[in-house]
Order: sequence, then structure tokens, then C-alpha cells
Amino acid sequence: MERIKDTYLVSEPSWLVGLRRNDPATIRALYDRHLPSVRQYVLQNSGTTNDAQDVFQEAVTVLWLKVKEGQLVPDSDPGGFLFRVAKNKWLDTVRSAAHKHMKVVHDDRIDAMETDVDDGIEERIVRLRGVYEKLDDKCRAVLDQFYFERKDLATIAQNMGIEEESIRTIKYRCMMKLRAFRKTIAGEENNEAV
Amino acid sequence: MNQGRLDRTRFERIEAYVLGSMSADERALFEQELAGDPALRSELELQRENTLAIELGGMERMLKNVSAEHRTPELDRDVSGTNWKNYLKYAAVVAIVLSGAFWVLTRPSTNERLFAEHFEADPGLPVAMGASTDLAFSDAMVAYKLGDYSEARAKWAALLQADPGNDTLAFYIGSAALAMDDVAAAVPLFENLHAGSAFHDKAQWYLFLAYLKAGDPAKAKTLPIDDSPVYGERARAIKAELE
Repeated sequence: MERIKDTYLVSEPSWLVGLRRNDPATIRALYDRHLPSVRQYVLQNSGTTNDAQDVFQEAVTVLWLKVKEGQLVPDSDPGGFLFRVAKNKWLDTVRSAAHKHMKVVHDDRIDAMETDVDDGIEERIVRLRGVYEKLDDKCRAVLDQFYFERKDLATIAQNMGIEEESIRTIKYRCMMKLRAFRKTIAGEENNEAV
Repeated sequence: MNQGRLDRTRFERIEAYVLGSMSADERALFEQELAGDPALRSELELQRENTLAIELGGMERMLKNVSAEHRTPELDRDVSGTNWKNYLKYAAVVAIVLSGAFWVLTRPSTNERLFAEHFEADPGLPVAMGASTDLAFSDAMVAYKLGDYSEARAKWAALLQADPGNDTLAFYIGSAALAMDDVAAAVPLFENLHAGSAFHDKAQWYLFLAYLKAGDPAKAKTLPIDDSPVYGERARAIKAELE
């Protein structure tokens, strides 16, 4: 059961609405439509299909975060964005010490593209991952269902065999643990700044 | 950043705003409050970040799954004409033989099997945000309900030291211990629960299972549990199987 119905403008494309709702069908559609061009590029540049999968996965994460933070306009082209991010990530890999022997094939599409994604979003993803890693498995089980899958408390309670009121309390306590962690970090940063 | 405690009502209002589940009126009122309350703005920002971090965790898990669905196998390479498929066949045969031998050597005894079939940890008590005196108990109950029996035991044990006659604590520490296969710790806790306790019948059932787990079915059979309206039928069935 889904808890929240998103309200969105008619003019918004379905991929943008789907990403905002963490919709798996939207993710699959992005893979179906846009992974092949990234795969072709990576294979042409000394990579493997697995390398292509990895950079594409990272690119989708960046796209998703941009959507969540309202940094993409509705008429953005998700395919172009994904290709650009994946390409940059693969070039970073190729240029790294382990891959210096690899040769990069020139692609005209690259020159035409601006590198508009290198705006600190990588650091932001790393920081958010660090917060998520602070949660133990048990908290994740509840919070994932509520905040990511957008299930209501009654459904989560049924799934986990725990009373709804207990799930509500567990959710609150887990979020307070995260809050305490963030406040500790903020305190340390303030102390360093003094 | 607000350094104080955030009560649940305030937390859930911020949550509703972040998730977009407020009505238009509630939203307008909340935004009015935001304009004049820097602490609330700070909490809102923090909660947005934490929610986003949880969503990112879920998204990365989803991406791994979808990526696995789209993974195309790399081309198999036949290394120097080696017929590696035959080696795989032999390896599979050896693995099957070894796993069969392992199963014979390590298969559970009847007692252990019966315990595994019938043991299910008590679901615990509902956890509500009650009086602060219950906070330590319910905090441990949260851990217990989430299967973190070690943490629950440690927290309840500290409370039991201060209140040794508390049958609720004794029962749930025993229950957590049994869930962790620590029969030696669980048995005395269940044995000492007095007949007037609300947990007595449940404790007798878990004691019955604990004796089985400990490899002492004779002692299990002596427990007067056959007439229990809740556990009698299962106990009789186990005893019949032991016969």
C-alpha cells in the first residue's frame, strides 16, 4: 500500500515524477532506454559491460538526487544527463593510475556537452551515505519502508509482525538516533571552526 | 541548530511537511510558524537531510537490483583449450558428496529439531511513548522487537538489578536469552517465575522448550503443561513425538 499520493504538475514528464516517487518501473525504464549508449561508450574505451553498469548506476544516483533537490527543470533530457555523468565517471576511471594504459576513443558528443554536474553533488552523496550507514539494520528495515517505499505504518506493522504503535515509536527513536548523530557532527564541525 | 529534545508531536509535524502529507491549511500554518521560528527551520533542514539519506540508501539498493537485472554476462573465455566445464562437473559432484557427509555429521538431534519447529520468540509488549519512567524498559523492548536480543538483555538486566522481583523483566530477559540460544541463562529465569505471575504459563512453555534444547526431554515431560489451554496441545504433540 502506498502512503502518499504525489501531486505534480501535468507538464512534468513521467520519468521526473517517477524518480521523485522512487518508482522502480521508472528506474527500469531509464536502464532500458539509456544504458545501451553508455555501455557502447565504455566498451569503446577499454571498459567492460560491468564497468558500464557501474558508471551508469552512479549516474542514475546523481540524476535521482538532482530531481529530489529540484535542481532539474522538467524539460531536461535524462538520457543526455545520464550519458554525460557516466562518461565523466568513466573518463575519471580511465585516467586513474590503474588504467593509464587505456586509450580513449574520441566522441563528438563529448565536446558538445557541458560538464554541468560537477557541482559538489558527489561530496553530497558521500555525506548522505555516511548518515545512512549510521543506522543499524533494524532501524533501516523500518525507515526504508516508511520513507523510501512510502508504506504506511499499518502495512509496515503487518509486514514485520509488530503493532502499529510500536512501529511508530521505533521510527521516532531511530530518527532521533540519526538526529543525535548529526548534532554531534555539527558540534564537532563548529568546534573545528572556532 | 537546536540542541534540545525534539518531542514526537513536533517531529511528526515536521515529517508530514517534509513528506508532503499535510493538508493545505496545515501547511500554510506550518509555514507561518517557520517564518518566525529559526529553531523549527533548523529542525526542518535536519529532518530533510536525514530523510534524504534514508531515501538514498533505499535508492542505491534498488539500483543494485535493477542493475543486476540488466547485467549481461561477459563473454566466456576458453583458456588455452582447457575443458573447464568438465572440471566444474567434477567439482559439483565432490561438493554434493561433501555436503551430504557434512549433513550426516551435523544433523540436529530430535530435541533440537523439535525446539526449532516450535520455538518462536515472544512478540513482546506494545511500545508506546509513555511516561519517562518506562523509557528504559520500552527502549529495550524496541530492541527486542527488532530482534536485537543482546541489546535488550543488557538494558533489562540493569533494570532487574534495581528491581529483582519484577516478573516482566525476568520473563523478557529469559525470552531474549532463549532466542539467543543461551539456555543456561534462560532456564533459571523461567523456573523462578511464581505461579501468580501473568507470565507464568508462557514461562512454563518456554521452559519446556528450553529443557528440550538443553537435551533434557525427561525434565520437559515433568512440567504440568498438558492442560494449558494455550500450550497444552502443542506440548502433548511434542511429548507424543518424544515417545
